[in-house]
Amino acid sequence: MKKLVLKRLLQLIPMLIGMSFVSFIIIQSSPGDYFAQMKMNPEISPETIESMKVNFGLDRPILVQYLLWLKNMCKLDFGVSFAYHIPVRTLIKFRLKNTICLAIFSLVISWVIALPLAVFAGYREGTFIDKIFSMLAYLSISLPSFFVALLFVYFISKTNLLPLGGTRSIFEVDASSFALFKDYMEHLLVPGLVLCLVNVGGLFRLMKNNFIETFNTPYVLAAWARGVPRNSVIFKHALRNALNPMFTILGMEIGGILNGAALTEIICGWPGMGSLILEAVLSHDLYLVMGSLVISGFLLIVGNLIGDILIAFFDPRIRIS
Amino acid sequence: MRRLLQRLKNHSRPAYFSLWFLLVFYFVSFFADILAPYHFDQQFRNKPYHPPTKIHFFDSGGNFHIRPFVYNTVIDDPVFKTYKQDYSKIYPLKFFVSGKERRIFFFFKTKRYLFGVDQPAGIFLFGTDNYGRDIFSRLLYGGRISLSISLIGVFISFSLGMITGGIAGYFGGIIDQILMRLVEILMVFPSFYLMLSLRAMFPLNLSSIQVYLLIVMILSLIGWAGLARIIRGMVLSIKEEDYVLAARSLGLPHWKILLFHIFPNTFSYSITAITISVPGYIIGEAALSLLGLGIQEPYPSWGNILSSTIGNLRVLGDAPWLLLAGIFIFVVLINFNLLGDALRNVLDPKNW
Amino acid sequence: MCLTQKTGEMEQILEVKNLSVLRVEKTESISILNDINFMVKKGEMFCLVGESGSGKTTLALSIIKLLPKSFKIASGEILINGKNILEINEQSMRNIRGKDISIIFQDPSAYLDPLFTIGSHLQESYHGKNENKKELISLALQEVGLDSEVQTVYPHQLSGGQQQRVMIAMALINKPSIIIADEPTTALDVLTTRQVIDLLNAIRLKHNPAIFFITHDLELAMKTGTRIGIMYRGHIVEIFKPGREKPSHPYANILLGTIEGKDTILELNFKKNTMDSKQMQQKCPFFDMCVEKEARCKKTIPFVWCDSETGIRCLKNGRNTQV
Repeated sequence: MKKLVLKRLLQLIPMLIGMSFVSFIIIQSSPGDYFAQMKMNPEISPETIESMKVNFGLDRPILVQYLLWLKNMCKLDFGVSFAYHIPVRTLIKFRLKNTICLAIFSLVISWVIALPLAVFAGYREGTFIDKIFSMLAYLSISLPSFFVALLFVYFISKTNLLPLGGTRSIFEVDASSFALFKDYMEHLLVPGLVLCLVNVGGLFRLMKNNFIETFNTPYVLAAWARGVPRNSVIFKHALRNALNPMFTILGMEIGGILNGAALTEIICGWPGMGSLILEAVLSHDLYLVMGSLVISGFLLIVGNLIGDILIAFFDPRIRIS
Repeated sequence: MRRLLQRLKNHSRPAYFSLWFLLVFYFVSFFADILAPYHFDQQFRNKPYHPPTKIHFFDSGGNFHIRPFVYNTVIDDPVFKTYKQDYSKIYPLKFFVSGKERRIFFFFKTKRYLFGVDQPAGIFLFGTDNYGRDIFSRLLYGGRISLSISLIGVFISFSLGMITGGIAGYFGGIIDQILMRLVEILMVFPSFYLMLSLRAMFPLNLSSIQVYLLIVMILSLIGWAGLARIIRGMVLSIKEEDYVLAARSLGLPHWKILLFHIFPNTFSYSITAITISVPGYIIGEAALSLLGLGIQEPYPSWGNILSSTIGNLRVLGDAPWLLLAGIFIFVVLINFNLLGDALRNVLDPKNW
Repeated sequence: MCLTQKTGEMEQILEVKNLSVLRVEKTESISILNDINFMVKKGEMFCLVGESGSGKTTLALSIIKLLPKSFKIASGEILINGKNILEINEQSMRNIRGKDISIIFQDPSAYLDPLFTIGSHLQESYHGKNENKKELISLALQEVGLDSEVQTVYPHQLSGGQQQRVMIAMALINKPSIIIADEPTTALDVLTTRQVIDLLNAIRLKHNPAIFFITHDLELAMKTGTRIGIMYRGHIVEIFKPGREKPSHPYANILLGTIEGKDTILELNFKKNTMDSKQMQQKCPFFDMCVEKEARCKKTIPFVWCDSETGIRCLKNGRNTQV
């Protein structure tokens, strides 16, 4: 098990290098001098610009520049944002927390809804209720996240049920941590539910197909033939085996969640990575774009890694080989 | 092809319907110049955020008219954008009205449109936006942009995916390694972030044709990687088939084997893959335009019709019909998904 | 019915009467099993032989009432220890499965849940009281020639032969009165096959359960079976005792010819059977291929018991007239 995880971690290294290189190339090939915008800004002295140039080695060959950049990256130094004049790292840190909260919240909710329904519908395949669920799942996978977000925003603005935009409405210093948490969750609810609604259909369909597939496997038949009780067959044999491929999905879904989350964040006014990169692109804040891109890629890699480790943990065929 | 249609029909009626629905949708967008009552940038300055026009059969006197008609409207409350109807004159709905010359894709000229009413009244089936432009017409024109971007994008990424996947799978070895690592690195990024970063490589204000091409490029660059990987897998298994081995032993050149013996066998997968990947491109275009990074005013796309509602609750409250663009996207997506699913089942050799 | 009762109810463990099974498709239903009649007695090894697609596995699954959804039992009775299982509900059937009747399948690797240890498989199979569970499990493993340590191991860590032994141990653990073995050796190599067969025989002699052995290998059946049923396209065409008598049905004779190395088989016209299921019900299923066919074979041929243990479904047969 340890060996397996170590191996996977080692495999990550070329991935990370490739990823950072692509990010570097994208930003490198962007038009205009990095510092053109800075030079226009009277607040930044020419000396600062010169020192940054040396720091990033902009006068040296491109490969050296990349290595220098990579070195900074390893120190989590993504440079300074042109627009905000603070280190990109500080900006990302705050936004990343919000995006991760949003992603985890909607992941948990959508899994909690989709999995039981999928098992139920899979067990009763072809019945009326299964057809209803499948139709709803179709609606869910065909709804673009931004459209659902807009509908939610429209609905909330009409009813004022929940707060919209930002992460908090309580700014008192002496507010209890529970009140703060409740406030945060209330703000999280709208984007979280939007994401959940968009994801739940796909998850349901995947899980249902997996369940039906495992439910028809020989070992489930053999379990019936041994007189194993029904609940045991469904939840122990069929469900456990159907869950296995879902762990891979979990890893891949991080990417999907990040995509959906980005648009949802922007529309619902949730300050996360998605709205950050949009602001960065709109203000041509290249270091911020690059930092966000690298971090988003990193999140996806970590998601896949978690999925792989979970599979290895739950599947003896991989764990003991 | 006809057999395929028949099988599709037998397999799933809804999917068969979806196919026709999509064809009609593409047809309508293609001929937007004829079908739309107004040109996409024709403005009614005195009618911003006009609600959908009511179409009447009975006039204020209670008389029935066989030809439906509308009333002219005047703004009632300029702040809240409410309108009242002016009952003094009726404007009957006219078919094949003539107006300014429009060009259908630069080639054909038309002076007649399917329907319209005389000025100063307007027929706004889905209301108007802040400039008083007819949303219905903009949706039709916008469909042309959104749908064509998705088709061209799919075509390009599919060709790229075919070529890379085919070469990687067929030749194997070091070429395969390099190409697949490249594909994997591209797939490491969440597509939205990659899309925005690629967009950041270019200046924000480009001409509309440049933006159009840029979006196509960005979307296909993001989309080809996944396709390449799957096609590589297929080619890997197909190249071990006896007929390919036979072709090789005959000494056919590699490109001929790939083109005539391997690619045709990925056909059924390709059809399905194209169908299920179109929605991604539609969403991608809509997302970019929605965020103001894609198609720019005055040109309409489904995304940028929605964009004025973002972060502006007032607009959303005043003109909820702008959300119809979202419904258009949704309807097209659900039909593509239905069709793609059915095609996958129909074309799967396991189900024959 | 009369005949079977004469020989004593005690011995009948499994009795199948006039069983017909259909596969229901969208537009039509296809007959899979047609008027199946046989019984299995205590302590005997009843071998069912037939080519692939003849309905052997369908029959096995009917007996444990685990047919896939698209299959439907059209008529007939299946009696296990005198109880008609087609009339009892799913819950009571679950109590019978594994306890009175257990089954061993063809490819052991596919029939063991990859995520659970051998031990948990065995524990799950045991239906009795918990007190002596552990000893019984070790005992069952010992009986099939496996160590007790094998319990902590996952299925993929065992060889095919070992996996099949585990399957047998699971089938044994509740001391069932009948074990169905559905081609248990097809996925195994020759040596392991031999071992598994010997093991099954040893168990039969020791605990005296009936074994309903399904195979496509007539030679194997002739060696190990006490009685043999020959199946052809959803019909049992003959039941006979190997050693005591030769089979008389033309199809059975052809099968036997393959073992004895007759040349006539080469000349047989193995054309595709063009009969649909309705025609099959109306005339002898072997009609198109039979070399001895007559006009009267064109009507339905019933299955007739010759004595309490053997029977045949053919008109042109000497034994038929005895009844």
